[in-house]
Amino acid sequence: MSFFGFEEGGLEHEKKKFLEGGLKESEDVAVYTWGEESYDGLGDALLEGGDELNDETFGATGAIGKDFDFSSQNLPVTSPSTGRVHDQHSRAIEQQPRERTPRIEVTGSSPSVQPHAPPADSLESIWDDKSPFAILSRMNGAGHSADHQRAPSASKSPFLPSATNDNRAIGHQTSIPQGVNHTGVRTLQEIEAEMHAIAQQSRISQRQELLRQEQLQQLRRQQEQQEHLRQNQLQQQDLLRLQQLQQLQQRTPPPRMLSHSQSPRFHAHQILQLQQEQERQQQHRLHELQEQLRMEELERHVRAQQVPAMQHQGQSLGRRQTSFNDLQAAQGVHQRRIHSPAFVDQQHTQNSQNAQLLPHNIQLQQRLLSEMAQAEFMRDMQGVSPAEQEQLRAEAMRKIMETERMEERRRRKAAKIAHMSRYNDLMTQSDKDFITRIQVSQLVTQDPYAEDFYAQVYGAILRSRLGLQSQDERVLKFGSGGGVGLGLAQKGGGRRQSAMQKMEAQVERIVSNARLREKEKGLHSLHSLQGALGKTSGRSYKAAPRQLLQVEAANATTPTMSGAHPHISKEDAIETNGEGAAREAAKLGREALGAAAGTDGVVKMEPLAQRQVLVILESLYDLVLSVEQLRRDQPPEEDEVAFNAWQMSYEDLTEQLWINLKVMVPLETSDPHPFVSLLTPAKGKKILPRLSRHISGPRMLTLLTLLVACFSQLDVFKQAGLLDSVEDTPERQEVDRQTQAFLGSVMQSILPVVAKAELRLVSGLLGLFLDRCDVVAAAQTKPGIAILTLFLSRVEVIKQNMSTVVDSPETPTPEEAQQWQLMFDHLFQLVAPHFLALFPSARLASALPLPSHGPAPPSSSLPTDIIDQPIWQFLAALALHASSEQQQILVSTLREKVLENVTSVSKGWVADEEEGELKLANVNLFLHALGLDSSQIEI
Amino acid sequence: MDPSSTGIQEPFDLIRLSLSERVYVKLRGDREVTGILHAYDGHMNLILSDVEETIMIVDVDAPLEERRAVKMAKRKMEMLFVRGDGVILVSPPSRT
Repeated sequence: MSFFGFEEGGLEHEKKKFLEGGLKESEDVAVYTWGEESYDGLGDALLEGGDELNDETFGATGAIGKDFDFSSQNLPVTSPSTGRVHDQHSRAIEQQPRERTPRIEVTGSSPSVQPHAPPADSLESIWDDKSPFAILSRMNGAGHSADHQRAPSASKSPFLPSATNDNRAIGHQTSIPQGVNHTGVRTLQEIEAEMHAIAQQSRISQRQELLRQEQLQQLRRQQEQQEHLRQNQLQQQDLLRLQQLQQLQQRTPPPRMLSHSQSPRFHAHQILQLQQEQERQQQHRLHELQEQLRMEELERHVRAQQVPAMQHQGQSLGRRQTSFNDLQAAQGVHQRRIHSPAFVDQQHTQNSQNAQLLPHNIQLQQRLLSEMAQAEFMRDMQGVSPAEQEQLRAEAMRKIMETERMEERRRRKAAKIAHMSRYNDLMTQSDKDFITRIQVSQLVTQDPYAEDFYAQVYGAILRSRLGLQSQDERVLKFGSGGGVGLGLAQKGGGRRQSAMQKMEAQVERIVSNARLREKEKGLHSLHSLQGALGKTSGRSYKAAPRQLLQVEAANATTPTMSGAHPHISKEDAIETNGEGAAREAAKLGREALGAAAGTDGVVKMEPLAQRQVLVILESLYDLVLSVEQLRRDQPPEEDEVAFNAWQMSYEDLTEQLWINLKVMVPLETSDPHPFVSLLTPAKGKKILPRLSRHISGPRMLTLLTLLVACFSQLDVFKQAGLLDSVEDTPERQEVDRQTQAFLGSVMQSILPVVAKAELRLVSGLLGLFLDRCDVVAAAQTKPGIAILTLFLSRVEVIKQNMSTVVDSPETPTPEEAQQWQLMFDHLFQLVAPHFLALFPSARLASALPLPSHGPAPPSSSLPTDIIDQPIWQFLAALALHASSEQQQILVSTLREKVLENVTSVSKGWVADEEEGELKLANVNLFLHALGLDSSQIEI
Repeated sequence: MDPSSTGIQEPFDLIRLSLSERVYVKLRGDREVTGILHAYDGHMNLILSDVEETIMIVDVDAPLEERRAVKMAKRKMEMLFVRGDGVILVSPPSRT
């Protein structure tokens, strides 16, 4: 062993490798040795390594040289008898390692050589301990347990008290060799007995000789006494030396003797060692069980053979001899297991530790074994052939192997599970709740519905599609604000449902807790504590960087004036005002002039800038969202207080909406009118249907009137010309997009208003329309045609109602009817010369370089027919209202167009069936209004 | 109507104004994009529809006199997600 760590470490590493390798040999599964990384195997190294030379070192092998035998060397050989005794004793010592029991006799029998015996004896008893414990300890590597066992045996070694020698001498007297002279100290009894014997032997011997002999004996006794004294001294010296030696040994104990409790690493490695021991023991036991089985089998075999035929005994004995090793091993194991308390102890602890692992293992195997043994015994009794027995044995082995394999698999699984469940129950339920609370508190918002908007809406759509009762919102709410959006409804999840409920309970607890805390805070009066630790200076204004972009909350009248948003607002200003500064000055002057500047007392204002429009639109969207939210939160009407409060806030919000829409701004304030400006962006158009739901009927009428009055200001009117070009420019696309948005949103929202309008109103609107905008131009735009068609069809409905329902409140007065007729005539008069120009296809054709005559190219004919459809509809509506003269004008003007369509279909100039049908349908739409049909036309 | 009372407090409020409007977006890597802004977030990730992307390509290997002409590659996409880390600027398209 080195004093330096690395060499030692190397040794240990090798040792560990060896141990692991050894383990792997017997265990083909991966060995799980978690937590044992730090195990250096020192204990085992000490136990198992470098013991080869121990016997040699301590003189257990071969004859012992006399170079250390101080006592005999120093002993003066006064008589040949003592020398002989000594020789005999040394021979006995030689025998001692092999035979234990005789040794005691010999040592006890010769008191004269006793002094030198103890060293040899004690040493041997220590180092060459062949007791079962010693064997066990070596086998098990359980050195420390063996130490305890050895302690009493060592105390039994006969060198210690000289007083016991007498007893032993007496006890062993009978075994004293006959011819040996009595030397050494003898008791009076001994001497008497001897004398007695001598007297008996030679009753007739001469007295003188006797006397002489007695004298001689006395002399010799004296000499012996002297010698004994010296020997005593020597013995004491020896004892001293032995003690020293023992002390030395204790200080640097040889590996196997090392007391673990003295080892500095003992405490660190004790547990690990125990684990390894257990592991080894487990294997050991398995092995043992196998051996036991084999032994039992053999025994049974023997018995079976003995029972039927005694003459086979010899043979069976021979067989027994052949498998003697097996038997011996098995018996050894047996004995060890039964007799060694250490083993029992360990087994006990192991059992208690691996309570669920091992007993099961053993039980399983034992049961299996007993079953097999029974079966086999039964068969043996009936006399089974050896071949069958072989087969049986193989079967048994196979079964055992299988069980082992299963067992191994099970163990591996258990280990895996243990590995995975390492951290089980690390957190208590309250820990988990705490974390859940933290997570859930992130989800709590003031407006759960809005936060979860898309999921809520999607869920509502899904539910309505599935035909489920529409449960308004799936949100969790808590008293005053705050809540959690629950997202989509879970489908049939029992576990999830309960989880949701658990979460709800959790959240409710959190919220109530938070409220409680707030209340407590309020009680403790936060203000009294404020500044208790000194005032924290706020912001150091010197240190604050100068802000390049200063966005002020409260701004001047217009962004162009304030210059707070130089980036965008200036651009807007330039866009709308042309030369910004000059216009600004002019505008300021106009405003200063006040009423005089505007017509009819209206203050003229610059039209809304693009950015202003966008800002207003955003605020409108915010308002619409909050109004919609408010609508969802409508309390039941029974709850008067709440309902009244709700109504108040609802009305307030709708009022704000109305104001922001700027419909009531005087017509002449600006061009375009602010409302029209708001309608310019696509999102402005798209917000109208959402707004119109919250705006009362009269207000919507006002809105409609404004729209009709300002139709010429609309972008869809102004830019409509772009749609007649065939070039696909971004601008055209943009106009197309805006037009679609207008038709889809704005028209959609005014449709119900018009549908309820009275004749008087419709004629008024038409009049306004004719008055304020170029009807011909308007009729060439999609929105214009749409509005005109809308008016005409409404009046047609009123007319039909007049004829069917006599006393309708809607029934217009004759004056109203007359007024309408006037308006219609005016319209017809204006539009009539441009009937053909109304068709977008015709306008497109004129824009095309191709001659407009003849069939249109097939590629473009289909879309033109589709875009022509509204015109045919308008013409049909016109025809319905028209007088006979007007109808004639209509027919004569449109004759060519109708004929063109019909002939192109009949002559097969169309690309496919669909196109032809479309053309005919368009024509018929118009002809049916006149009471005609395309089939009546003959070419 | 006072537009600032509607609460423009941060630059993103200005971008909000361009929602569902056509915007011009300059991107890293000599790219620019115009499209209708549908959504944006704090990272300036943008969702654009009806997009036209323009990529400026300067051929470095070409001889110097030819290099002056910057080639433009254009492509159109119906819907596009623009990752915010590439955005240099967002503006309403320049109007004439």
